[in-house]
Amino acid sequence: MNENQPQTELTDDEIRHVAHLARLAITVSEVSKAKKDLTAIFTHISRSSAVDTDGVQPLDHPTELLNHLREDTCSDSLSQQQVLANAPVIKDVYFAVPKVLGEST
Amino acid sequence: MSTTQHIKKNDIYNAFHEIWETEEPSDGVLHGLCIAIKDNIVTKKGTTTCGSKMLKGYNSPFNATVVDRLENAGAVLVGKTNCDEFAMGSSTEHCAWGPVKNPWDTNRVPGGSSGGSAVAVAANLCDAALGSDTGGSIRQPAALCGVVGYKPTYGNVSRYGLVAFASSLDQIGTFTHSVEDAAKITQCISGYDELDSTSYPETHPDLCENLKNPIKHLRIGVPSQYIGSNNETAVNDAIQDAIDTYKKLGASIVELELPLTDVGISTYYVLAPAEASSNLARYDGIRYGHRTDELCSDLFELYSKSRAEGFGDEVKRRIMLGTYVLSSGYYEAYYNNALKIRRLICEEYKTAFESCDVILGPTTPTVAFPLGSTADPVSMYLNDVYTANTNIAGICGISIPCGFSEEHGSRLPIGLHLQCAWHEDAKLLRIAQMFESATTFHTERPGVIA
Repeated sequence: MNENQPQTELTDDEIRHVAHLARLAITVSEVSKAKKDLTAIFTHISRSSAVDTDGVQPLDHPTELLNHLREDTCSDSLSQQQVLANAPVIKDVYFAVPKVLGEST
Repeated sequence: MSTTQHIKKNDIYNAFHEIWETEEPSDGVLHGLCIAIKDNIVTKKGTTTCGSKMLKGYNSPFNATVVDRLENAGAVLVGKTNCDEFAMGSSTEHCAWGPVKNPWDTNRVPGGSSGGSAVAVAANLCDAALGSDTGGSIRQPAALCGVVGYKPTYGNVSRYGLVAFASSLDQIGTFTHSVEDAAKITQCISGYDELDSTSYPETHPDLCENLKNPIKHLRIGVPSQYIGSNNETAVNDAIQDAIDTYKKLGASIVELELPLTDVGISTYYVLAPAEASSNLARYDGIRYGHRTDELCSDLFELYSKSRAEGFGDEVKRRIMLGTYVLSSGYYEAYYNNALKIRRLICEEYKTAFESCDVILGPTTPTVAFPLGSTADPVSMYLNDVYTANTNIAGICGISIPCGFSEEHGSRLPIGLHLQCAWHEDAKLLRIAQMFESATTFHTERPGVIA
């Protein structure tokens, strides 16, 4: 993987790319505002690059506990009605979505 | 007047998003105690919106573990308190239901993100409130509102039913008028929960048993990085007075160096948004939450438009920030590097706790600032400069009232921040109790409500 060095100045294209990855529709004026804000944040974040982290193991989680699993026993789960209750659009007993598969060619 | 009527009449601060009709409590150690719940902790009763249009009207089919435990202990749950959207903010101005106001000066912010919970207690609307703390979101508003705000050690209180922001940093905790109430309530809500895979599986210490026994030969660490020109004068003065109070109680002061304090915020603003961008990917406009009314030709358009309409600016900013630092080509330089600094911050704390029992400093560099005064994100983030590392390491911390500032034309509270090592929560609360027993700051009220 091509690992880039930290940079602080983001381009319009990078903002649009990140918004695409994050599934956020973004307008032209929002691109410009996001560029300004994120550039200021990355300028601050870049302070971290002064810390010597050579040879340090990353720490994902403060507890460093191993997974502990509960007993594999049957218990009640939510009803279909409860699961669908907060859905903005349902059809019969399904979540409704736009067409996923394309027309056959 | 009933509790419900009392809150409805007196909540001129927008502290509550929902005020509930109360029910007859069960018997228990918290019998009759009126407690408010931050709006990012799910309750079967009412809605849970996280201060976001995305979850407007969301009705949880289950209770968070802490909610069940409070009810089982006899608490009266009075409603849901406003917060920054998805707990992202330090002022409770980023709330879809309007900003929350500080009862000490209604032109000023209460801090955030648990601003509504802090105000509910500070303004005497209820006895206590639950909040969540990811980088200071309990302790900072507690400091700015003059109440006790306690963030337990990570894993001590179940996160089951806390709407996830940054899972390795989030922790539920309390707002109270006294350290004793914090101990009593936390004793009821803490303990292993098999529904939270990061719940601490070992025996949890009793927080109440020795609470009022002072600690002998107490060693208080004061980092040079916590005192100085970053802070307002009144804040530095109040902290010096607190140090003098502890000295009179027999404590010795240990001078400390925590050089990574300075990079805490920059590390936090890589880790927390990275986790948030992943956690908030669940809001897809399909299973629950806001869905665009526009006709969408495919799933991508439905996701993108629903999310753009449902989320506010600060949440979108952090999702984009987190997406960027996790994206191909930048993961190593930003995210993985922040995880390495996280280990160094933990080691820095471990070394510090070899020479002292507790680390003392201000909770925030300033007192409450005016509503609308902090337009740029970085200035807002720096409010958490003294609190973020507590979460990065997962240790426990508490903010207790330690003075007032008259510098800004109104009387504004100052918070004393105490941090102890992992699972030394009982010791932390005892040390806080020593200060509270020797002072009267925690008894002062904004004076608006009798």
